[in-house]
Amino acid sequence: MAEVITVAVVDDDRMLLDGMRSWLGGVADLRLTATAATVGELLGSSAAQDGAYVPADVVLLDLMLRDGSDPGGNIRRLARLGSRVLVISTVPDQARIVESLRAGADGYLTKDNELPALVTAIRDVAAGRGAHSPELAFAFAYDTTPGRPRLSPRERQVLLDYAAGMTLKAAARRAGITPNTAKDYLDRVKAKYLRAGRPAYTKLDLARRVSEDGLDGE
Amino acid sequence: MILATMLYRASHLAIGVVGVAQRHRDQPVQYAGVVTAVGLSVLVYGTALRRGWFVRRQVWADVLVCGCLLPFALWAWGGAREPATLGWAMILGGSASAAAAVALDRVRVLAAVALLVATHAVGYQAVGASPAVVVGHLNSLLSSAVMAWVFWWYLRRQGRLLDDANARALSAEAHRARYAERLEHHRALHDTVLATLTTISSGGIDANAPEVRERCAREAAYLRRLVQQTSDELPHREIGTALEEVVRAAEGLRLKVTARYHALPQVPTEVATALAEAAGEALNNVRRHAGTGHAFLTATGGPPDGDDGGAGARVVVTVVDRGPGFDPERYAPGLGLRRSVHDRMAEVGGHAAVDTAPGEGVRVELRWPK
Repeated sequence: MAEVITVAVVDDDRMLLDGMRSWLGGVADLRLTATAATVGELLGSSAAQDGAYVPADVVLLDLMLRDGSDPGGNIRRLARLGSRVLVISTVPDQARIVESLRAGADGYLTKDNELPALVTAIRDVAAGRGAHSPELAFAFAYDTTPGRPRLSPRERQVLLDYAAGMTLKAAARRAGITPNTAKDYLDRVKAKYLRAGRPAYTKLDLARRVSEDGLDGE
Repeated sequence: MILATMLYRASHLAIGVVGVAQRHRDQPVQYAGVVTAVGLSVLVYGTALRRGWFVRRQVWADVLVCGCLLPFALWAWGGAREPATLGWAMILGGSASAAAAVALDRVRVLAAVALLVATHAVGYQAVGASPAVVVGHLNSLLSSAVMAWVFWWYLRRQGRLLDDANARALSAEAHRARYAERLEHHRALHDTVLATLTTISSGGIDANAPEVRERCAREAAYLRRLVQQTSDELPHREIGTALEEVVRAAEGLRLKVTARYHALPQVPTEVATALAEAAGEALNNVRRHAGTGHAFLTATGGPPDGDDGGAGARVVVTVVDRGPGFDPERYAPGLGLRRSVHDRMAEVGGHAAVDTAPGEGVRVELRWPK
């Protein structure tokens, strides 16, 4: 508990921001450093204060912001500046969740999770372990988009059982493997999606990504 | 329209057959002409009746052979030298032009009729018919085509109007059904979310009280599922509604249920009911034995990859908890699981399986078909 994890929240719901402040205020190893309604506001406000943007360790990012900004672009901007991104949303919109993970988000949670689940996810993401959640597993397991990565039968079984609400330990027993291996499987599925999200690195592709990410003089 | 032009042609052929039989008993070419005309007519109208519409190439053949060539063949080899002996073959042109008018497109109709008019004018010239006969005949050629075309146009227009009216009635019906569904949702929202929000906003109660928060969480869960279900746009009303009922019943008994649905298919009503009842019993077990107050209900259609293999509708419903579980070796299935879950699923040709171990929660899987 020596290390304190800095957290920023980007959400256009004021009530949720207030709630988050009081929630995280009670957790010793987490410190809420900034809240904003959009990613642009988050980057702009801290730059105005300190002259330079200091990225939080973990940014909680609402999947659907009211400014209509593209979740993939938001995630890439934050990740490039050095934050890990945990995506949150009220309704689990499967297509957008998959898109977010492809864009490099470290985890996904629905907002109805209780405080301990949220805190665990933030700690996991900050430690670079990558957070898993049944709602994320569900989005992967029932992804029907054309570019979805191929999963092995074992990976699929663990993913399905975890998505159905089983603990990692129970899912591992059902598959006849250790909980650690089961966790590896889930990590691997996530890694496959991340790879599938950035398939090629031709010059043209990079140029397109740059404009997608809003780097070209926004 | 096939029938009308066919009857028209049949009347012309009858005149031909009677005429040839009466006057030209000894002339084989006249007989051959009649046989050709009858044969071609059978081909054109037989095919049209069988396929539901004319074949253009056959109509052209009819126009050219019956309409244009036959009179000249009779003139050249059949010994027809006066208008009367040629008459039966000439009037076939009228029914040929009528068929052409309905079967061909506009430019080709004009071409076919012009061709018929020209050849028939030449044919009557050859046998030396009086101008009155020629003009009368050409007039009947043209009017056959025009009447057939007008009749056909009128029928098509009526048909289109009827189709439009049908389409409008269907879309109105679909609209009514959607409206009824929305009304159903609205009523549910009114009894739950709206009532709760109204009470809280009036300020009379402490919004932070545990029971108020619990109720809010339940209502939020309902809205979340509603949004997901309507965004799915899949025909799973029956099973979705049946499951939703037991989920809400369990929530009413203070069990938190995380319910997720994906690609639920249309299933027979009794299957939907059995699945929902079995799922309800499994939720009851979670509430009584798990001690966590939280159940996960997942309902999906077919395998997640969609590699269905054409086997038709398939449903898997799982009810999972993260409670203490039990040792399946030592535990005799209680009345609840055995009767309400296993037997209920077996009744409709489905299957139930329980998976558990000490300390690892319980997973009940309901599968249909077996």
